[in-house]
Amino acid sequence: MRFLLMSMVATGLFAAGKPVDFLREIRPILSDACFQCHGPDESTRMANLRLDQKESALAKITQIAARVGETKPGRKMPPAHAKVRLNAAQVGLIQKWASEGGAWQEHWSFVAPKRAEPPAVRLKAWPKGNLDRFVLVRLEQENLKPSPEADKPTLLRRLSLDLTGLPPTPQEIDAFLNDKTAGAYEKQVDRLLASPRFGEKMALHWLDLARYADTHGYHIDSHRDMWPWRDWLIGAFNRNMPYDQFTIWQLAGDMLPNATREQIAASGFNRNHVINYEGGAIPEEYQAEYVIDRVEATGTTWLGLTVGCARCHDHKYDPIAQKDFYRLFAFFNNIEEKGLDGQKGNAAPFLKLPTDTQATLEKEMTQAIAAREKRIEDAKIADRMAEWEKTKLSKMSAPARNGLAAHYELEGNFNEATGTYLHGRYLGLPPTASDGPVGQSALLDTGARIEIPEPNGFNEDAAFSLAFWFRGGNKLEPLTILTKKNGAGIEIGNDEVFSIGDLRRGAHLVITLTDAAGGKRVYQSKRPFPYNEFTHFTLNHQGAGAIELRMNGEAEELAVSGETKPMGIRNGAPIVFAQMIGSLDDLRIYNRELSAAEARQLAIEEPVRYLLFHTGIKRSKAQAAMLRDYYLKHDSGDELKSLYARLNQLKAEKKQLDEQIPSTMVMKELEKPRESNILKRGQYDQKGERVEVATPSFLPPMPSSLPRNRLGLAQWLVSKEHPLTARVAVNRFWAMYFGNGFVKTVEDFGSQGEAPSHPELLDALAMDFIESGWDLKKLQKQIVMSATYRQSARVTPELKERDPENRLLARMSRFRIQAELVRDNALAVSGLLNGEIGGRSVSPYQPPGLWEEVAYGAQFSAQRYEQSHGKDLYRRGMYSFWKRTLPPASLAIFDAPDREKCVARRATTNTPLQALALWNDTTYLEAARKLAERSIREAGADPAKRLKHMFRLATARYPSATEMKLLQASLDGQMAEYKASPEAARKLTTTGESKIEASDTVELAAWMSVASAILNLDEVLTKE
Amino acid sequence: MYDSTSRRQFLSGFGATAFAAMANDNVSTAPHFPAKAKSVIYLHMSGGPSQLDLFDPKPQLKKYQGQDLPGSIRMGQRITGMTSGQSTLPVASSLFDFAKRGQAGMEMSNIIPWHHKIADEICLIRSVHTEAINHDPAITFIQTGFQQPGRPSIGSWVSYGLGSENKNLPGFVVMISQKASVNTDQPLFSRLWSSGFLPSSYQGVKFRAGSDPVLYLNDPDGMSKDSRRKILDLSSKLNQMRADTMGDPEIETRISQYEMAFKMQSSVPELMDLSKESDATFELYGPDARRPGSFAQQCLLARRLVERGVRFVQLYNRGWDQHNDLPRDIQLQAQATDQPSAALVLDLKQRGLLKDTLVVWGGEFGRTVYCQGRLTDTNYGRDHHPRCFSMWMAGGGIKPGTQIGETDDYSYNIVKDPVHVHDIQATLLHCLGVDHTKLTYKFQGRHFRLTDVHGNLVKQALA
Repeated sequence: MRFLLMSMVATGLFAAGKPVDFLREIRPILSDACFQCHGPDESTRMANLRLDQKESALAKITQIAARVGETKPGRKMPPAHAKVRLNAAQVGLIQKWASEGGAWQEHWSFVAPKRAEPPAVRLKAWPKGNLDRFVLVRLEQENLKPSPEADKPTLLRRLSLDLTGLPPTPQEIDAFLNDKTAGAYEKQVDRLLASPRFGEKMALHWLDLARYADTHGYHIDSHRDMWPWRDWLIGAFNRNMPYDQFTIWQLAGDMLPNATREQIAASGFNRNHVINYEGGAIPEEYQAEYVIDRVEATGTTWLGLTVGCARCHDHKYDPIAQKDFYRLFAFFNNIEEKGLDGQKGNAAPFLKLPTDTQATLEKEMTQAIAAREKRIEDAKIADRMAEWEKTKLSKMSAPARNGLAAHYELEGNFNEATGTYLHGRYLGLPPTASDGPVGQSALLDTGARIEIPEPNGFNEDAAFSLAFWFRGGNKLEPLTILTKKNGAGIEIGNDEVFSIGDLRRGAHLVITLTDAAGGKRVYQSKRPFPYNEFTHFTLNHQGAGAIELRMNGEAEELAVSGETKPMGIRNGAPIVFAQMIGSLDDLRIYNRELSAAEARQLAIEEPVRYLLFHTGIKRSKAQAAMLRDYYLKHDSGDELKSLYARLNQLKAEKKQLDEQIPSTMVMKELEKPRESNILKRGQYDQKGERVEVATPSFLPPMPSSLPRNRLGLAQWLVSKEHPLTARVAVNRFWAMYFGNGFVKTVEDFGSQGEAPSHPELLDALAMDFIESGWDLKKLQKQIVMSATYRQSARVTPELKERDPENRLLARMSRFRIQAELVRDNALAVSGLLNGEIGGRSVSPYQPPGLWEEVAYGAQFSAQRYEQSHGKDLYRRGMYSFWKRTLPPASLAIFDAPDREKCVARRATTNTPLQALALWNDTTYLEAARKLAERSIREAGADPAKRLKHMFRLATARYPSATEMKLLQASLDGQMAEYKASPEAARKLTTTGESKIEASDTVELAAWMSVASAILNLDEVLTKE
Repeated sequence: MYDSTSRRQFLSGFGATAFAAMANDNVSTAPHFPAKAKSVIYLHMSGGPSQLDLFDPKPQLKKYQGQDLPGSIRMGQRITGMTSGQSTLPVASSLFDFAKRGQAGMEMSNIIPWHHKIADEICLIRSVHTEAINHDPAITFIQTGFQQPGRPSIGSWVSYGLGSENKNLPGFVVMISQKASVNTDQPLFSRLWSSGFLPSSYQGVKFRAGSDPVLYLNDPDGMSKDSRRKILDLSSKLNQMRADTMGDPEIETRISQYEMAFKMQSSVPELMDLSKESDATFELYGPDARRPGSFAQQCLLARRLVERGVRFVQLYNRGWDQHNDLPRDIQLQAQATDQPSAALVLDLKQRGLLKDTLVVWGGEFGRTVYCQGRLTDTNYGRDHHPRCFSMWMAGGGIKPGTQIGETDDYSYNIVKDPVHVHDIQATLLHCLGVDHTKLTYKFQGRHFRLTDVHGNLVKQALA
């Protein structure tokens, strides 16, 4: 029954006796039931009959009326095979329409808004403005009365949540309660509109349309930086940038004359789409997808049309031909972008955003680097090197063989090279050969298990040395590189791998010694080594467990912990590589310590000597560069050597600087536009007719004064004559306050969208909006100042039955706040919220392993969740790092989208998983603890006062006497329970990283439990 | 016409959707005819298993070993960026032997011996084909019916269409097997089990290995069950008072969702607790079955889930993307999945559950006959191949011991009975009593379906 009533509200069946209303009653039926075969799509049109156009439809109106009323299966329309059936009421309407002579109007949203006179109403005292009169007249038609105004605390909480996304503080509520002036409410509205939180709240909704995220999406889903664009967005709302300008900047800010950095950054709206670089993917395919995504997002956001339907064929319901789609496509197809991109963060084109100092510094460094590079080139390095190569080898010697117990060259095998025949054995998978520093290296993976016998005469209790090259693989957890252990012994590995900069990773070398008695000593390199590059290690054991380490020939400081007494580590075991993920090269075991010079020789000279010696090797680029580097560092003469040293230093400094300078992806036109074609069936490789840019023909034409490009398109969208842009925007804002727009399908104003519940009001607001100069704050104020907005949200049984969705607006809508606000609210009421605005995204608490169990691997960024600490744990939900293939878990549970596509409205579900998250997510438990601490701290010793304060912080109102009884009883029960088990209290209250600010943890645990119950109340999660 | 089904649809998801967000014409009318299967267990083999080395024998290829793939076979079809740069596309015949298995005489390779035991239970389709040649679009296609992100997954469609039979467990459960060793396989994405434009109450709920199998299921240390109950009671009583004041039915829904959460805190651990499973059962699923997070254990859990009326269980096993070292790696994959997959079918059968459960096994595409990288006598790699691959189905609604489709001598093109990904999806829904053309959801003005505007039943597969 409910559903039937709702559809009656929408189609206006309550108003019987009047002539049929074509737009509300007839066109939706034609669209839904007939357009599929008799609509805009030429390819599926039957009987050459179009019912979406006036002439052809009215010419056949008698037949239409007859055929829908037919009972014979072969004659009846829609035919039996169609999915749609007409009910008796719908058939009746069609026949009535025909008998009345067939009134016809164009689809409402394609015709410019008209200003209707504000209607006369009976309840004259109620309206606070014209807006309310449009609402009231509809209610009076239905014999309904508006609801009374909500009480002040409810009103202020509603207003604060709507305009800032945060609840009011008790002080703010008190101030409002005590303000008895006539303008008290308006004062609050103005205060909140002026708050910088306003920009955050508006941006929050816009981010869904913009499909904002911190990763690229698709397959590998590594990180990107679009937060500078997000910062711009928040600022634009806060500065109340007019919506027309706001539109132009976001669609084509880069094309404005002498575009500023801000305008270019703003154009990132249409770079927020997903970007792919899956190995083997075809670039043209994805470049086409990006453009299609831009057309769809722009269509949804500004036109409120599902233009994407015309990607593969003419639209079935709206007059958007496939050709129209690709004409729009042509506007967005000229970006200097690659089909596959994003390995290293932002995909081109992007805009660097240095500070002035950084910009100057960068320029100077670039010049300094170029100048030095030129000087080196001018010195005819290639010629000099050719000369040098002729004699160099004769001046080099092979590494010493004295004391060399074993040598594994690792040329695709584990053979011992000194002739002992102590070859390595494969108990798992053999290594794969790949280029290494000295010839080939051995690439080991998960299945590897290799044993090398103990070298002859080897004794760990005496001095020895282990030298090898190592490069880490795709494992981020601590790794054991090798062990030589049998109870006592030695184990070499690295600790957890961490990011240095965007794509580089580092780890510390860890050496663990164990003696026969089980005593352990751990050495750890003080500096990390680069994990994805080869590093040479020389590990000298001086005897008795004393170790010294050289990395790339340089002495490395070690941190030591554990056993301090001399250690015996003799074990007689083989050297084992098990599940070693990474590459090894040139493994040498000496029965003595290596000198510093020898270590340097292995790390620096030996790779060069190898290349010079093996003249038959065709040198790779990397090998050639290595030789050149060696030459310039060591043998090029003092002048070039110092020049080269300075150059390298400059390059390192510049790299550091570059990493500090943020960038943001932007639009940038190709100098020569790409050719655009119709893509048959939407396939990138099925090119059809060539098309030029143009706007859809059913909308007002683009004035000839506008340029035929993206900028022109943006300007056309915000021209005063445009029937859609203002309506779509106003409708979406309305939905933000009331849960539904006048047009419930906020993303679809086309034929298949729902007709507006209050068409005159929608038009009036749209026209006011345009006439105000697209003033966004003024529009919000107009809405929230209305009597309609200020109504109570209480649902009477009559309204619940007659208008469950509140389409008639006889009350305020009551609905759960969106995901980010659920979080923000809990943080705010507990006092944990870090109010910082903008900047890089942060990584709050999240159950471990969520990314890792689906992610690709260590060679890309954003594959492992690195949780933030300190105040970054308490930022607003909108700043949570948004990984598209696994969006923030506790936001996703509350319907936050994955941001792979433009989303104009979220669902609002109510699930048990939400209860679990609010009970047990660290964020909410910690918020409960802090709310408890805050109540104890602020409300004094009286439990009743504390309970009241706590309840009011969370709900904005004081609890009733009955509510107080329940709260008090629950508190007493919890207190008794935790008194009986103080250990449980201690455990409970240690949740979260923030400091405990209460001395009595038993008391705190009891209060925390009550606080958790309060934070779980429907009222706390809901905007009333 | 809406009334009879609206309430059911409204409450049939795992949780409920607020009225305000529901479109009034989005009401599932499924089932459309009597169902053969009540539940689905979908074993997705992520990466693209090689049909040439598992199910599609081509002994004659030994003759062509190392020769370039003939142009008459390739017919100019696009290939991925990983092999399009190779100067030759040399044929690599399988290193593994095949033989006829079961009464059905179903040819399978000798690296999947446990599959031999279920030859008479399954319907093997050797002629599945897809449109995508890279992982992301291909896996998105087979799991959501569309190559680009944004559509609901199969499990979500089924949950939306049929609801759940167990009120204390989600209707759509997802498990991703974790290897004992480090994982460098192709990634997965939450979009594969997302509800797309359907309300998010229909999205898959991930069950994970470890102490917190469902996100946030466990109460914190220091909170007793009794304490949890009391906190819940306090919330519920206060919520009820608010419901009486505000008259909003959504509050009552919230109260019941909180009760369900509380019940889940016992029903999920009960489900995950394998201590009452017999040794024989563990033996059947193989040694890995005792390791949490293994594919074997997840197959066992899948059986426990359908026993409890869970509608759709989606498993993912990664590691089939064998561009190089295929002979070595496919044996490792087979070791981890062969026995558990077959055991699942056998176990369901011995418990009388197979007739009500549809089991689906397969990847997102197949692999090429030509070698990627260096071809030797003992080693080869294979690139992605969308034009033919093998899948199998078993159980409710499926004709056992059936073989469908044939490929050419190179397992490159289909020569008989092609089965498109949409046909698989249509057939899957059919077994559940759902007409794939009638299970629709109106979004952005269009009635969307899992199979878009395509899909034909694979009639030969149906019992």
